[in-house]
Amino acid sequence: MNVKVIEKDLMDPLAEISEVNIDLNSIPHDFEYVTLLDNTKPGADVVLEFIEENLGNRKFNWVKKPAGAPATIKQLEIAAESEIVFLALGDCGSCSSWVILDAIRLEKMGIPTVSICSDRFSLFAHEFAKSHGAQKLKILSVEHPIAGISKEEIVKKTLEILPSLRYILQIP
Amino acid sequence: MLRKHLKFFLHFDTSYKYHESENMTDDSKFTKTSENCGCLVEDLINTKKTDSRLCEVKPNDIEVFIDPDPEKTSYDFYIRRLTDGLPIIPPTKTRVMKFLNYTDRTPDEILTVLPPQQGKAVIEKIAVNSVMAGCLPQFMPIIQHTINAISIEKFNLTSINATTHPVGICMILNGPISNEIGASSSAGCLGPGNIANATIGRALRLCLINIAGAVPGVGDHATMGSPAKYSYTFAESESESPWEPLHVERGFEPFTSTTTVIAVEAPHNVNDHRSKHAEDLLETISYTLSTPGCNNSHVPGEILVIISPEHAQTIARDGWDKRDIKNYLHENSVVPVELGDRGGRKLDKKWIVGDDVHITRSPNDVVVVVAGGSGRHTMIAHSFGTSSESVTMPILYKDGTPVQSVQDFKTKIKK
Repeated sequence: MNVKVIEKDLMDPLAEISEVNIDLNSIPHDFEYVTLLDNTKPGADVVLEFIEENLGNRKFNWVKKPAGAPATIKQLEIAAESEIVFLALGDCGSCSSWVILDAIRLEKMGIPTVSICSDRFSLFAHEFAKSHGAQKLKILSVEHPIAGISKEEIVKKTLEILPSLRYILQIP
Repeated sequence: MLRKHLKFFLHFDTSYKYHESENMTDDSKFTKTSENCGCLVEDLINTKKTDSRLCEVKPNDIEVFIDPDPEKTSYDFYIRRLTDGLPIIPPTKTRVMKFLNYTDRTPDEILTVLPPQQGKAVIEKIAVNSVMAGCLPQFMPIIQHTINAISIEKFNLTSINATTHPVGICMILNGPISNEIGASSSAGCLGPGNIANATIGRALRLCLINIAGAVPGVGDHATMGSPAKYSYTFAESESESPWEPLHVERGFEPFTSTTTVIAVEAPHNVNDHRSKHAEDLLETISYTLSTPGCNNSHVPGEILVIISPEHAQTIARDGWDKRDIKNYLHENSVVPVELGDRGGRKLDKKWIVGDDVHITRSPNDVVVVVAGGSGRHTMIAHSFGTSSESVTMPILYKDGTPVQSVQDFKTKIKK
């Protein structure tokens, strides 16, 4: 008599991933009106100021939103009055999440965005954007950390993303 | 050829059953050789004799099904990052099916989608993770409704899962079901020692890891994590409380069972053996709460205050009710602005009063429950802050009526 001992199958605890796809907006060849969406994380304003200083003669609009939480509808509506929005700063898990989600909310409103995260969290930011259907969301990485260092050090780190920023925006 | 194939199910399934072949026909006229063998007399007569004469068509005469080795399974799952690091119960279909008896939802029903990876919280997956956590099947309704609770927008699971802050999800159970399943509201209710308290919170954590994708360092970025992330569940001691319990305070009937989720740090003790009056005791509690470095100090929000029955009696004896406690702790729990404004998010000026920041936005942010055994201790826990609100979810059937007893699922539910 042949006896076969078989282990019972184990069930998989992993979930299927919800499939969504968000249409992202192209950055216009030329733009005049820019919103800088500051989540008030330490150094976010310095990073955005640097971008402001290096984008030439354009109209800039500063909007503050809470870190680790969604921007209010009013904050998004004000930001959406411009032609492009820069969001900073994702340098932790919750603030990176809501930089990305707010960028996606703006993209859904028809506004192109560029998000800025520190390199320790940019991989997560990309994966997070992908899981929310925005795989090609534009995310730039600055060297971590930004918090707890001087303004000069932040500027030095932000300088390194300038070539990538110009490439994305297709400006000289 | 007619064939019946015998399978023994060991461990939990002590009975055996026949596995029917595709070409099965009416076999009532055939006779089994014995109770312990699936072969038929007719088969043996008609089969050409060989060394393995009993079952020539099938490679095996008997298949014995055994449970997977827990040690090997735990290690395999751990290597695949499917656990919290502790050993697990192997999630066999037999075990998962027992949990599915305690829900009126179908196994493939999607309750919600959980961030960060937008995993579909399917009933069956919740059951699988609950088995792994060591839960009893009767805990399923609470776990299922807790998954609903954390997906409510104001809870902000996106941030709670991803943050560097050491925030856990505390579950507070109220109503008759917490008693029925034996959840502890007394001595040691915050652990260790009670299976409901220890495993329900663990099931939630495994769901967060495997369904939401909150794997430490991948989707959960807590700088150090927290012991509170293993399991953080207790029942309110409604019979020992001088005041209305949490779920009644939040508008539910006393007989409606609820699960409340609140995103808080691990608890911090308040040892006060000497205060004889409410104000003295609450002064000690408010000083313990007034801590720079917590999220509440720069993004004021809820705090959890778990008052022991003895402390509750001291407060109630002076005629103070929950509203008085909330008012006192809101007014007196403050940190200096200079120290408060050192957190991740810039302190909003609207939270500054004089030179101080109140760690709560209003008295309503003070969440008060009574629990614990003998002793003059209270536990306080700071929260994630402004960006997460606690949620109290009633345990309901799909049609919206409250579940009176988890045993009703076995008798009343037709799927």
